[in-house]
Amino acid sequence: MGGRIKKKRPGFYLDMTPLVDIAFLLLTFFMFTAKFKSDTENEQKFKITRPVASADTSKLPDKDLATIKIGIDSVTNDTSYYYSLSNEADRKVVYSSDKIQIPDDMRQKVILKVDIKNLEALLRQTRMANVRMKFAIDADKRITYKWIEDLMEAMRKSNATIFNFVTDRQN
Amino acid sequence: MGGGGSLGREPKVKRGSFATKRKKKKRVGFVLDMTPLVDIAFLLLTFFMLSTTLTTPQTMEMSVPPETENVEVKQSELLTVLVRDDGQIFKYMGDKNTEKPQKISVKELRAVSVTENMRMENKLIMSLRISPKVPYNLVIKILDELNIAETEITQRLSAKGMKRERKFALTPMTPEDVEDLKVL
Repeated sequence: MGGRIKKKRPGFYLDMTPLVDIAFLLLTFFMFTAKFKSDTENEQKFKITRPVASADTSKLPDKDLATIKIGIDSVTNDTSYYYSLSNEADRKVVYSSDKIQIPDDMRQKVILKVDIKNLEALLRQTRMANVRMKFAIDADKRITYKWIEDLMEAMRKSNATIFNFVTDRQN
Repeated sequence: MGGGGSLGREPKVKRGSFATKRKKKKRVGFVLDMTPLVDIAFLLLTFFMLSTTLTTPQTMEMSVPPETENVEVKQSELLTVLVRDDGQIFKYMGDKNTEKPQKISVKELRAVSVTENMRMENKLIMSLRISPKVPYNLVIKILDELNIAETEITQRLSAKGMKRERKFALTPMTPEDVEDLKVL
């Protein structure tokens, strides 16, 4: 400081061992807890702002999960249903079903943009492909209840009567 | 690992070979420059710290009755909660012709659910009818309040030696409800 050139002190040595210990400890911790974005999130072109809730604290499972997303496209402002499956094997079976009317090039995708009719068919096919499948509704908080109501009706029709609303924890 | 040095004395080991169990002398004045190591360690640390998301989403379980099942409900055991387009909440117990729907707030909903459920002791069926125009955010808020009430009801009932059996149900709005709400 003060514009004076700092002289290098010869023979000065700072013991960095404790610092390195702590740094590596933290590094290992963060490395093991790190969870990277899944394929679904990579393909997703919208951001969902989830509503907050405080009552239930159960976590979302990683396997055997079918997620129905209701997102608002950030560019066009259109609301739509999006469907994704966590298991790749199930995805292959369900997405290639001829009961679902989507363009063939879409079948390779991880996340499908679907209308309510196709969604119902997808739910039904998913139930058939894997009985242990859990359903999660991940909707943006700005949408109206109509989207949820229609979706619940579709779930009722396809016998997927138990599902979860994905929320964020309230602080 | 160098503890076994004193046990087996092997005189024929050449000096300087790696197998020698000779005592290592501490080199005086030896300094290892750890700066690059620390640099890389902190770089990785910052990367992992920033890339991890600590807030994992949680879930709220719901269920809808299957299509084949049609539940018959006694009107005296039915508590109807209506949510209007503008987010106003109204409730009435049993028949709406005898009891006028009352306006309540989201915060009051929890207390209403607890008192009514405790009064009816497990018999109450709560029907939640939400207008399609209500924002999803409010729907979750209402469900959250009811879920909080649910834990309280379960606790109070188990204190009495009873088990909680029924939960609230989400039912679609009828045109009649829409007409009723207009007047309120």
